[in-house]
Amino acid sequence: MVDFSMYEEAVPSVFAYKCPTCGTLYHPVPMVCRKCNARRDPSGVIYSAWEKVPLEGRCRLLTWTRVWNLPEGYDVKYLLFGIAEFENGLRASGRLLVDDPETGMSLYAKAGVVKKKGDKELYGLMLDRTP
Amino acid sequence: MRRVAVVGIGHTFFGNLSEFDLVDVLAFASGNALDDAGILAERKIIEQVIVANIGGGILSHQTGIASSLVSRMDMEPAMAELVENGPASGASAVKLGFMAVASGMVDTVMVTGGELMRTVTGWEATDFVATLLHPEAEYNLGLTLPAFGGMFTRMYMERYGVTERELAMVAVKDHDNAAKNPFAHVQIPVTLDAIHDNENANVVNNFVAEPLRLYGMCPVTDGAATVILCAADSPKMKYFTKRPPVYITGIGSATDTHCVHNRKDPLVLDAVRLAAERAYAMAKLTPADISFAELHDAFVILELAISEEVGLFPRGKSREAVVAGVTRLEGRMPINTSGGLKAKGHPTGATGVSQVFELVKQLRGGAAKENRQVKDPKHGLAVNFGGFGNNVVATICSKEPTW
Repeated sequence: MVDFSMYEEAVPSVFAYKCPTCGTLYHPVPMVCRKCNARRDPSGVIYSAWEKVPLEGRCRLLTWTRVWNLPEGYDVKYLLFGIAEFENGLRASGRLLVDDPETGMSLYAKAGVVKKKGDKELYGLMLDRTP
Repeated sequence: MRRVAVVGIGHTFFGNLSEFDLVDVLAFASGNALDDAGILAERKIIEQVIVANIGGGILSHQTGIASSLVSRMDMEPAMAELVENGPASGASAVKLGFMAVASGMVDTVMVTGGELMRTVTGWEATDFVATLLHPEAEYNLGLTLPAFGGMFTRMYMERYGVTERELAMVAVKDHDNAAKNPFAHVQIPVTLDAIHDNENANVVNNFVAEPLRLYGMCPVTDGAATVILCAADSPKMKYFTKRPPVYITGIGSATDTHCVHNRKDPLVLDAVRLAAERAYAMAKLTPADISFAELHDAFVILELAISEEVGLFPRGKSREAVVAGVTRLEGRMPINTSGGLKAKGHPTGATGVSQVFELVKQLRGGAAKENRQVKDPKHGLAVNFGGFGNNVVATICSKEPTW
């Protein structure tokens, strides 16, 4: 089955991808597994399609920033961002929903609307205190 | 491999050049370099032209820029190509020019890097640079290069104890140098009192991406720079008698993960270290041989981190060098004598070429008349940092060949 999911914008989830051979998780998805060299095939025709695993759950904040000078298209005063590490060691960058963050604090990762593109909503990783 | 000499250098003013056409800006730097080399009338001896530029298509709505530059300069039938490698485009173009000459394919190359970034609003320029981030995992979130600069700065401060005051000292030093550089964008000296110590310093030095403040970041800048290369063993060297040649003795580059969060330790800049190691190995030099350096301080924290990664200081110790004045013009290891990206400016496609321009100028002794000459330099190191460290080029220029 052809996997067109990369073209879908309004999916209320953010994913990690699991190598079907060695089980290593990635975010974002590569084309070759760094550990076992298994190839990914977005179409699933020649090689296996990689399992999509929702990127959510407990994580720890490694670093963060509050950005006051935002690029074109963001009509807010500031945005917070962070890099978080999940309990399984996977890391991801995300939008931080905590206004008084501290490095090392425990957070919960989930999907949320990060941007609107026309009438479509784009989802990205949100880092919050609670699920 | 043939020895490669830099035989001509040119630079435009860095600043707001948005009233000019992109190719005119590139051509102005190119003309200055041809003049410097003494071959304006003989410019058809240039066999290859390489242009470094990122945003021509996006910001200036112009493509085919390398061919356009050749035509504007009446340099046909030189071969011409464009190099786009993010903010490391300039040094990548120099590296490809070096490879073309060193391999024996051609004898003479003109490398020009340039960018017009102030033709759009600051918001649009920030967005333009952010397009080099990972589209799904970074860019769509609203992340920008300053955001990564802020997160990197926080990690570095927490691990190594660097203070905001020490970061401000880097900015003060860069502005002091830029104030003496006639090509620099921000030729305004600033004091530690004005941007940090004074209780009202926040008024002029507010947060941009916490803990990074305005004076911890480079301005948005237009400009161009050019270097002309010639094989040291070529009969064409007879044309280049106006200036003493300076040699590219080492050049190397390396890549790292696209996403910063995928690095084992986000504070370790593997691509910087590997690029420098490759350059040192080619030049048969070590960090102890370097007389001065131009390091990619788009954010002042990068001057510290890069200086450690390339071996000029032990990890976590560059802050001590800053406090002791070691990196000032008169110090043991002057860094960013041009003012750096912080104060000279960072027209992305131009930056890597401009760094080599500064190395050559210092090695020739040409900065003396601007009262910013490094004392008796033998080898200069430039590091041009693309993305947030995912593609880095290190270049060593030397007064005399080392191989």
